[in-house]
Amino acid sequence: MLRCVVAAAALLLASCSFDYETNVASGTRQGILHIGNGDEPQELDPHIVTGHIEHKLCLALLEGLLALHPQHLQVVPGVAHDWQVSEDGRTYHFHLRDDARWSNGDPVTAADFVYSWRRALLPALGNNYAYMLYYLSNAEAFHRGELTDFSKVGVQALDDLTLEVKLDNPTPFFPHLLTHMSYYPVHQATIEAFGAADARGTRWTRPGNFVGNGPFKLQEWTLNRRIVVKKNEQYWDADTVRLNGIVFYPVQNATTEERMFRAGQLHITGTIPTDKIARYRREWPQVLKLHPFFSTYYYLFNTAAAPLHQVQVRQALSLAIDRQQLTDKITMAGELPAYSYTPPEVNGYTADPVLRHDVHQARALLAAAGYADGAGFPPLELMYNTSEGHRRIAIAVQQMWKTNLNIDVTLVNQDWKVYLDKRDSRDYQVARAGWIGDYLDPNTFLDMYTSHSGNNDTGWSNPRYDALIAQAAQTTEQQRRFALFRAAENILMAELPIMPIYTYVNKALVSPEVRGWHPNLLDVHPYKYISLVSSADDTD
Amino acid sequence: MAEPRSTSPHRNAWRRLQRNKVAIFGLCMLTVLALLALLAPWLSPYSYSAQNLALGPSAPSAAHWLGTDLFGRDLLTRMIYGSRVSLAVGFIATAVALLIGVTWGALAGYLGGRTDALMMRLVDILYALPFTIFIILLMVVFGNNIILLFLAIGAVEWLTMARIVRGQVLHIKQQDYIEAAVSLGASRLRIIVKHVLPNIAGPVIIYATLTVPNVILLESFLSFLGLGVQPPQSSWGLLIAYGVETMEEYPWLLLFPATLLALTLFSLNFLGDGLRDALGEK
Repeated sequence: MLRCVVAAAALLLASCSFDYETNVASGTRQGILHIGNGDEPQELDPHIVTGHIEHKLCLALLEGLLALHPQHLQVVPGVAHDWQVSEDGRTYHFHLRDDARWSNGDPVTAADFVYSWRRALLPALGNNYAYMLYYLSNAEAFHRGELTDFSKVGVQALDDLTLEVKLDNPTPFFPHLLTHMSYYPVHQATIEAFGAADARGTRWTRPGNFVGNGPFKLQEWTLNRRIVVKKNEQYWDADTVRLNGIVFYPVQNATTEERMFRAGQLHITGTIPTDKIARYRREWPQVLKLHPFFSTYYYLFNTAAAPLHQVQVRQALSLAIDRQQLTDKITMAGELPAYSYTPPEVNGYTADPVLRHDVHQARALLAAAGYADGAGFPPLELMYNTSEGHRRIAIAVQQMWKTNLNIDVTLVNQDWKVYLDKRDSRDYQVARAGWIGDYLDPNTFLDMYTSHSGNNDTGWSNPRYDALIAQAAQTTEQQRRFALFRAAENILMAELPIMPIYTYVNKALVSPEVRGWHPNLLDVHPYKYISLVSSADDTD
Repeated sequence: MAEPRSTSPHRNAWRRLQRNKVAIFGLCMLTVLALLALLAPWLSPYSYSAQNLALGPSAPSAAHWLGTDLFGRDLLTRMIYGSRVSLAVGFIATAVALLIGVTWGALAGYLGGRTDALMMRLVDILYALPFTIFIILLMVVFGNNIILLFLAIGAVEWLTMARIVRGQVLHIKQQDYIEAAVSLGASRLRIIVKHVLPNIAGPVIIYATLTVPNVILLESFLSFLGLGVQPPQSSWGLLIAYGVETMEEYPWLLLFPATLLALTLFSLNFLGDGLRDALGEK
């Protein structure tokens, strides 16, 4: 909140000074993109972070073997310029380009990827996303510490520029996984100059230390103020990159962010306050970007502790909320009520809409769990990361639970980093969560609730669920795969370690100066396609 | 506040206060607010927490005199309930500040010498602490509890009070009647309680009325930071903080609570001014 005050004060000062040039005007002139990025990132280490905020930063600083094209979300060459898949779909050969460089001038080699993937899987690093690499042969055993010889894991540098990858199963979406930050390379010499390979939170990610291979390099990181990156001249595709730099602002408050946008301080915002949508639709529709988003908003239940260890209690809580009313009256950007966990119709998969709103049954289930009419129900805490939008949903849900089940809920808002820590250490009862698909396949939603997933913060595990997901991984025939996913999702929705609320709509304000920003289902906007053009001629 | 004993200086003060129209207006206003806050559950047909999402934010109407908020909750009801918290914080925290400040200041001033120097240096040190951080620390240690909030605010607001009281006591200590009491063999405690404190009542009461608005604003600020009152409860500070977020779309959500807070602060200041005029000159 303090940073909002600071931002507001900065705005005030800005508007007072006489011949002040806005960020948008000066940025457009100098090729510097100013972008609202939600919150202070937890870290910049691609093998530690899990959030969307951090992902947007890593996307500027690092590049994987392959990258996503923002228009069609197909993979395009990254560090690898070419690759072959074997007949059985289980062996890949990646050919790295010989002009790929780290920002300090070192060449990016196949050995860098072997080192990085090993690091991502080191048990002591505590990478929540390690399960993303389980598709590599023996990776899971290595991550669990059952295997210590990394040469048995399915990744090998055949020479400086050839990487061989062996998978357990033919995985049709494997090239897509390579665009994700958990498969990004890190610079060995830099990591080890500041600590062991599996040391968390060392100083290697600080400005001056950070060595990356992305289109931009880290220039400044001022806590709670901004993160500045500038163009990396060593990047192999530097000719395509038209921006000279990007400034990321950690603006938590959507209202502040919207005001900054209106005052010409930001080119792109991370979101838009609900109340302002109607007005933008009316008055400035060309900057308002509302698009379908492969992402679900939900609440996590900590199933390890009473009273949420009882499945009836979780079911009662889910039945007691009116999702339609939440999307119609609270979120109001055209979000869809979520009656299953995965968003509908992605690559042909739609889950059974099994969740309902049924107060009578909710009360009956709560009574069956031993809390008739909420009597004796222990105090419940609902945690969310500071944001007006999350607060509103929490207030509405709090009241629905109070009215329908007579349960008292306390709301607790936390700073992003504290919130992530508490989720990670399962120090919560109910927590707000959102999941954005990492690739266009239901697997990205469903494999995170297997018992070995680092992103499963609920304490819930179900062997039958794990088996179905594992079976789906071995299946190539799409309809058969989807049937397995559907069966797994029905288990998840019957046991409800998580309570889906709605399917997101991606909301952003993008100023007319910005070109090459393509709305897409994954909200991925590689910065090398973005350019800034003075709009003095074509607006107003 | 005013002592019921009809000693003549107090009666004169009361008469002077009555002549001050603005101060009387302030007093009436505060009385009405206090009554509203006390009678809240019997006054409004709405509950402060019951939502009507289908209705959503609506402008003032016959059903909802001051409109409804984003969740369709009646704004007037929430303001009245909010005044319970805000006024309680105002008065309880001020009482805490008064208790600590007067005791501390009177002791330091009367005992004098080293004790005085030591006690006042401690006040100086506490003054130097950024008090928001101090309160946040207290809340972190003791948890987010409304009673603790009252006490915590009171615990940082007593410093100025202690200084004022000490100054007054230093002055009164030089008076002849104190010397007389000392030569008659009265104990220190008796002198402080019987002779010193009654004579510093004027400045103390005045300063207290000025502390109340400060404290109400401080609670607004802390609630805004998420440290004070938590949803679905309301306080004026919270109502205003969230009103600001949506002031362009739903201006009444900011306008009415802000007006009420402003009126209350004016009333308190008017009353404080009136009391200063009435008690100030001897």
